[in-house]
Amino acid sequence: MAESDAEEGASPPKGAPREAHQGKKKKPQRWRPWLRAMHRDIGYVCVGLTFIYALSGLAVNHLTDWSDGDASFKTYSTSHEMGPLKGEDQAIADDLRRRIGIEEAPREIYRQSPDELEIIFDKRSLHANTTTGHVVDEGQKPRFILRVANWLHLNRGKKAWTYVADGYAASLMVLAVSGMFMIAGKKGLIGRGAVLVGLGIAIPVIYVSFAGP
Amino acid sequence: MSRRAFVRSASLGTLVIALGGAGYCLASEEDEKKARATNRADGRPKLPPGQYLLKRIRPMGGTEGDPSPGGWRLAVSGEVDAPFTIDFAELLKMTQVDQTCDVHCVTKWTVLDAKWTGVKLADLASRAKVRPSARHVIFEAFGGYTANVPLREALASNVMLAHKYEGQPLARSHGAPARIVVPDLYFWKSAKWITGIRFVSSDRPGYWETRGYHNHADPWKEERYG
Repeated sequence: MAESDAEEGASPPKGAPREAHQGKKKKPQRWRPWLRAMHRDIGYVCVGLTFIYALSGLAVNHLTDWSDGDASFKTYSTSHEMGPLKGEDQAIADDLRRRIGIEEAPREIYRQSPDELEIIFDKRSLHANTTTGHVVDEGQKPRFILRVANWLHLNRGKKAWTYVADGYAASLMVLAVSGMFMIAGKKGLIGRGAVLVGLGIAIPVIYVSFAGP
Repeated sequence: MSRRAFVRSASLGTLVIALGGAGYCLASEEDEKKARATNRADGRPKLPPGQYLLKRIRPMGGTEGDPSPGGWRLAVSGEVDAPFTIDFAELLKMTQVDQTCDVHCVTKWTVLDAKWTGVKLADLASRAKVRPSARHVIFEAFGGYTANVPLREALASNVMLAHKYEGQPLARSHGAPARIVVPDLYFWKSAKWITGIRFVSSDRPGYWETRGYHNHADPWKEERYG
């Protein structure tokens, strides 16, 4: 137990027995320090998960504000000047892969016109002008943190993650409930705490009432 | 770091994040003023009300379809006497047009003089022999996306099925290998990763139209939300 009862209110005079200070009216509340300790430790455990879920939640909500499409990937486009590209389409594609450093095999090689060759990969396309050697290299690059965060947030991970997510949700509920009882008195649940808890409940209730399904 | 310095840095950081990627290709104020002062041939201002200028179009997301030209198919169907399906090679064999037009996004950006290459929608309609009963066109795209446009506006001379932007094959994020371009309506009507063009006798609001966006989407009337 980290905190003493003294943190909850007036402390007894130095040296005075606790029982004498509190008289016969009230027994010391020994559950609150335990509650605080539990709240604190669960809170520490939840810090990492909270950051991940908060970040990915913001990303899911604001995909188009932050990026062009899926926030897990960044759209890019660059050009390469390779000089005239001669030979069969497959040979040109192999040559470009080697020179640009692409290990992945193309999904499709498409001759769009006598001087235009399209080489399509999973998340990347090369638009090559075989006459001039101008190659536009465009596609999407993964944003590591956001991609992993979204993957976890949307439960696209393995099924085992569902148990972690459920545990996290339960922990948040424990934190919420224990948080309500951490402070006694007017700043606690019988005072401003009640008003603020009511406000927190009212936000979704009012929103759903006016804009719900 | 002092409290004041921290607050200042945090505010600046928030502003940068809030502006997102918009700043990276903003046109100059001078260009924007000029666009506001210039009228199109039909008398409407070059820059519709409430819009600002970007230098190049910004991909706005959507469920990305297969960019492979070889696997692409377009079905033209509905109220037509000669429905047909074409592949990308057939599309390239049709009469190609180069067109310069403005693009207006409902999120308030406009790009002037975007260059597109493709096939006029009127040519596709002509090949399908659209019946007199057709009143609207539904653009169907990958992932179930749809957008509805009145037939008269869909057959306007500047509406096209584009496969090139600024002389280059369409980028994946812009709807490769082919997309619709309806320059005189907000750009959500210009379906990316197009898979079908359906002529219908009665209107069918599309993906965004059923989610609160305006059914018509005229930028000069600011028809953003329904």
